[in-house]
Amino acid sequence: MDALNNVFVNIAAYIRGLFADSHSLSADLTINIIVFLMLFLIMVVAALFLSLVERKFAHWVSQRSGPNRLGPHGWFQFIADAVKMLGKEDIYPANVDLFLFKIAPMMLVGITLMAFGVIPFGKGMVAINLDLGIFYFLAVSSISTLALLMAGWASNNKFSLLGGFRAVAQMISYEIPLLFSLLGVIMITQTFNLSSIIEAQKTIPFIFLQPLAFLIYLIAGIAETNRAPFDQVQGEQEIVAGPFTEYSGLRWGLFMLAEYGNVVATSAIAVSMFLGGWYGPGFLPGWLWFILKIWLVIFIMMWVRWTFVRMRVDHLMHFAWKILLPLSLANIFLTGLGIYIYQLFIPRIGG
Amino acid sequence: MFGNGLIKGLRITLKRFYGPNLTEYYPEVKPNLPPRTRSSMALEPEKCISCGLCVNICPNQVINLTSEKDGNNKRVLKTYHMNIGRCLLCGLCTQSCPTGALRLSQEFENAVYHREELLWDMIARSKRSNKPSGEEG
Amino acid sequence: MIIDGTQEYSVNMGPQHPSTHGVFRMVVHLDGEVVTNVEPKIGYLHRGLEKMAESRTYNQFVPYTDRLDYLAGPHNSLGYVQAVEKLMGIEVPERAEYLRVIFAELGRVASHLFMIASGSLDICGWTPWSYCTRDRERILDLFEMTAGNRMTLNYFRIGGVSHDVPDEFMPALKSFLDDMPEMIEEYYGIFFGNEIAQSRMKSVGILPKELAENLLITGANLRASGVQYDVRKAEPYGIYNRFNFNVPVLYGCDTYDRHFIRLLEIQESRKILQQALRDIPEGPVVAKVPKVIKPQVGKVYHRVENPKGEMGWYIVSNGTTKPARVRIRTGAFVNVQMLPAIVTGWKIQDLVTIFASMDLVLGEVDK
Repeated sequence: MDALNNVFVNIAAYIRGLFADSHSLSADLTINIIVFLMLFLIMVVAALFLSLVERKFAHWVSQRSGPNRLGPHGWFQFIADAVKMLGKEDIYPANVDLFLFKIAPMMLVGITLMAFGVIPFGKGMVAINLDLGIFYFLAVSSISTLALLMAGWASNNKFSLLGGFRAVAQMISYEIPLLFSLLGVIMITQTFNLSSIIEAQKTIPFIFLQPLAFLIYLIAGIAETNRAPFDQVQGEQEIVAGPFTEYSGLRWGLFMLAEYGNVVATSAIAVSMFLGGWYGPGFLPGWLWFILKIWLVIFIMMWVRWTFVRMRVDHLMHFAWKILLPLSLANIFLTGLGIYIYQLFIPRIGG
Repeated sequence: MFGNGLIKGLRITLKRFYGPNLTEYYPEVKPNLPPRTRSSMALEPEKCISCGLCVNICPNQVINLTSEKDGNNKRVLKTYHMNIGRCLLCGLCTQSCPTGALRLSQEFENAVYHREELLWDMIARSKRSNKPSGEEG
Repeated sequence: MIIDGTQEYSVNMGPQHPSTHGVFRMVVHLDGEVVTNVEPKIGYLHRGLEKMAESRTYNQFVPYTDRLDYLAGPHNSLGYVQAVEKLMGIEVPERAEYLRVIFAELGRVASHLFMIASGSLDICGWTPWSYCTRDRERILDLFEMTAGNRMTLNYFRIGGVSHDVPDEFMPALKSFLDDMPEMIEEYYGIFFGNEIAQSRMKSVGILPKELAENLLITGANLRASGVQYDVRKAEPYGIYNRFNFNVPVLYGCDTYDRHFIRLLEIQESRKILQQALRDIPEGPVVAKVPKVIKPQVGKVYHRVENPKGEMGWYIVSNGTTKPARVRIRTGAFVNVQMLPAIVTGWKIQDLVTIFASMDLVLGEVDK
């Protein structure tokens, strides 16, 4: 079990061992390139597969079977989707701002990929073990607002513009409860490093200490990834597809890739911060526990998505500023109080 | 109050998530259409007496038939065309047919690639009616 | 409304837009997200049905009537054939009258189910949409086994109906009616009881009683504004006076009530269907009518309660086999004018909800 647990760490160590000095520049470069490619692959496969799972889920909820043509029960459909997306003609309307129009989807995917860099998939399995990991994640993921605004502005379409404005309003508002909900965990562990936060959850996952924070994080996370009931940015029924209206083919595919990549990243952070990361009963390797927990969070997100209807823009704002923000502040206060009481008995906790 | 309805909705969707699946797997499993379904028209030329009632009753001038007199001064059907692209499939023509030569059928795979193929030669169609409908055109 | 430095702009919604229910087009004037004005543009589905009626015989026009409000085909035909029967003084057999009521009410249930479905879809409720259409499918199956088609039935004839129902119809209808309370419970649980949906719809798009009356709004939209008016009660046609049912009325005047009253009307239709199922006699289904329908010179106006509103048929006969003039008063066409009257000041998201709550069918608006 230990070998299985450390299989990826051992492979990395083996590759480093091929070089004379295992921490020379060339060794680091090689490892980093391999890790980068692996992350990209993980993101693409996860996003493609997730798009299929989402459709399957939607159809199962409404008593249908979903895609059922390619492969056993249609489970290879995502390959056909990817091929179709690659093969489509690249269309852009006449009066778009071509530079922004082209760079927006790439930027969104790049940001999502950057966020993947700090996610610890297992013990020692993190691309860049930053001491400010969670801080970096929040900082990077907030840039994606800019990419959506760029897409909305550059498309030169009124529906796209509305979508871009909504993206800015919504994502910046929900950034704050998202951040504050994570603060409680950070106060307990006294560190920004994701691996250390998971280490601190060896005995008890923080969802039991911070249930309110988990709920706030989940709601704000769904809003950050623009999924129903908070999918104002796309809003098929009123603004056609928001910033993505004019996109087609591969560019549109990149947007979808980033969207599902964001879902995975948000779930991964939820797992690291609240659900105990790679810790689980010993019969499965740690990284598998991590992935299973990610799927659990994604299941909840999909369940909510296909049950609820979309909220209105102004209700959404009220919800963020008048309900979620005070609640998360109260959570921080309660956490501080709890830590103070705890410290009366034990002088020091956490990392 | 707040949250109650949301949880009820989640319960319903979870129940349906594990519930049965109602999809019809169409090309593999053909639907079992009731015998009255109006999907396309079929003609038995031997029964037709060229009375022209169907031509008159049709609200959209779909049917076009010609006949000629044979030796016994009896009218015999010569051509029978239906412009199925205009057809409403209302069934008035089959109801008015005195001999039951024209009837509705349950063949529903009538899509064609060109508009000219919608001009059905009903006599020719009746001769190859034992063929699967997909090969006609 | 205009603040310095900003400007109003107009967005063209439709005729190809996901939530305009067909080919409706509206020019929406927006101040940010807020709607300042809406100009409805209709006519993209105009087929000239009134003119078509003048070039077809009375019987030939029956299939076209299904295509007015294609979600509730039978009720349109009911209005037309009853108008012609009124003109000619034809007595319809008992069994045919009951079958007409059964089909018309089934059509109403199907139409209302579809309205709830599309209303939920317009606020991104994909799952309620599936559940409503799943149950509507059972009604369409009932239509198909009897009349032959699922939506454009062409089932009613002048003097009766085209066929008697097959043997398996009545048990299937009975089981559908028995399952109905469970279905309604489900719709309520997933859509009407959902707090997010309620927050989207409640007190949005108020149509006050006076405004509704002044704009000649009819049908469920009027009843959701607190006016208890239904042609089935006010001026019973066919055998509707034999049935015991209520006319539901709600006083909220908002989008939620306009959706919810459809659910209540489905329950009333269930009552009518149960009574019809209990009382239906045996017998012929079509009266003895001349093969060539040639009404005497005269004119007739007949109105029925279509699921979308009051539908009126004005037929002028000049003694030939074709009508001299047919005028169709459709509820949905008149109801369009409530859109610009109530939408001002709401968000573009509410515009979609309000539009869905009006329950327009473009076949009826554009004729």
